[in-house]
Amino acid sequence: MIEIKKTYKNYVDGKYVRSESGKTYSVKLGNEHFELPLTSRKDIRDAVVSSKSGFKKWNSTSPYTRTQILYRLSEMLEGNRKSYLSILQNSSFTKKYAEKDFENSIQKIIWFAGLADKWEQLVGNLNPVSGEYFNISHQNPIGVVFSLNKNTISLSQLILSILPPLTVGCSVISLSNDSGLLALKFAEDINNSDLPPGVLNILSGDFTKLIDDVSKHVEISLVSIHDNLSQEAIKKIEVNASESVKRVKINPSTEGISSILPYLETKTVWHPKGT
Amino acid sequence: MSKTALKANNSKLEWVDVIEHVYESRIDAVGLNERVASLATRSIKKESKLEALNMIVSMCDLTTLEGEDTKGKISQMSAKAVKPDPGDKSIPSVAAVCVYPSLVSIAKEKVKNSNVKVAAVSSYFPSGQVPMDSKILDTKFAIEEGADEIDIVINRKAFLEGDYRKVYDEIVELKEVCKDVHLKTILEVGDLRTYENIRKASLISLAAGSDFIKTSTGKLTVGSSRQACYVMAKAVLDYELWTGVQAGIKVAGGIRDAKDAIRYLVLINEEMGDNWLTPDLFRFGASSLLDDVLKQIRKLKTGAYQASYYFPRG
Repeated sequence: MIEIKKTYKNYVDGKYVRSESGKTYSVKLGNEHFELPLTSRKDIRDAVVSSKSGFKKWNSTSPYTRTQILYRLSEMLEGNRKSYLSILQNSSFTKKYAEKDFENSIQKIIWFAGLADKWEQLVGNLNPVSGEYFNISHQNPIGVVFSLNKNTISLSQLILSILPPLTVGCSVISLSNDSGLLALKFAEDINNSDLPPGVLNILSGDFTKLIDDVSKHVEISLVSIHDNLSQEAIKKIEVNASESVKRVKINPSTEGISSILPYLETKTVWHPKGT
Repeated sequence: MSKTALKANNSKLEWVDVIEHVYESRIDAVGLNERVASLATRSIKKESKLEALNMIVSMCDLTTLEGEDTKGKISQMSAKAVKPDPGDKSIPSVAAVCVYPSLVSIAKEKVKNSNVKVAAVSSYFPSGQVPMDSKILDTKFAIEEGADEIDIVINRKAFLEGDYRKVYDEIVELKEVCKDVHLKTILEVGDLRTYENIRKASLISLAAGSDFIKTSTGKLTVGSSRQACYVMAKAVLDYELWTGVQAGIKVAGGIRDAKDAIRYLVLINEEMGDNWLTPDLFRFGASSLLDDVLKQIRKLKTGAYQASYYFPRG
């Protein structure tokens, strides 16, 4: 029997694509080496175009439907339990650790799926004002979010870097480096979970070569960094981002209701009280 | 009749000569496709790109041809035509705004202190399926309203039925109505389907006195293509050889991004020479193209990719 090895590809706009540059980088899994796409600056731009249209679709999807789609994502993961465990174990984790990481991932997806149609009640507000008015602070998703995944291999970490913005209606571009293979494997389950194309784009590559393109791109509304970058790199991101008043979040919380707050913008409206 | 003989004794083709050339139209489609594809692979470096993008802006006919067009929409678009990017004074005005005849006077008023021209589509754009009298009336009205340029459609019904003489006669008649007003004739290449037909229609339109030939109305799913543009470029060159008359080309329909537009410029430059790279002889019909070009210009100057909400609507 000839062994057939899988070619992992980026997931952009609901399609599996190689890097436009044709370049790859090598990651080791067990005794094997896999070539993952080395995302180029053009790939980032394409992903932003796709995320922009993805955001429109996802934001106009009802929270109830978003809940169901995210829940279905957990079902898809569960069906592929074996392959995730084998990737994690081949990345030199114990069976116990791999199982725990996988269980944790499923639980987190279900938790965020449940939150998708409840967060507006939890974080919105009716403000006290001295007058016959309702003063309502309404929360809106910020738009296209770029998320840099941690460089350690963990499914739950990847999922926690993506789900908070996704839950509130943002579209997400997620980039992973050493953990790229796991992320691209995860992309295959996104495709089966009814997420509209462009809502979640998964890329693999080297962020240090893409810092300028990501942080300067006007149509990315928020850059969240879940990895440890040098102070110099962070400074560069923040200076670039300031040009387009882009938010930058370094290691934002991924636990509980506070995890979704960075991805929201407040819109306050006044409405007269009827008497 | 030989080509040199033609060139020697007239500056306009008579019908007998036109029809001879029309029937001689033969095109090697495979070779043409390959040539056009190879021209699209040229890489354009940064400084040249900026020059090309500015050139594209100056060649744009900023267009809106919708049933929903209102005075307000035309005013907004005309303001954008004069100053495409209010934040960057180095960007030129566009060549013209292109509207329906009933909105010409509004556009005219808005662009009066600039060098932006007003073009009107007439002859019952986009189908042209009315009697000749109506087409003349439509065209006269647009000119009386103050249109500087008239875009007409050829009679595709007559063309596809093989009645080339009727196509020719109609354009001649409309040219007489236009007099000195610039006449652009739309071939609607999506309806013509074959390269031979595009060449035939080009030659007929040029011989009938069109100042420009234009690819499409923008109302079909098949708009302009670089292949169609190539065929038209060759027809214009042949016509110049025979008569000494230089006619222009306008490409319209489906050209949405700067990269595509630059490829058209490369094609024109390579096939016709850089004296054709002027708004007098080459135009883009554009609605969304201008937005992308403005974005790319600012990207070149700032290094950051832009969002369209930083630019005027129109």
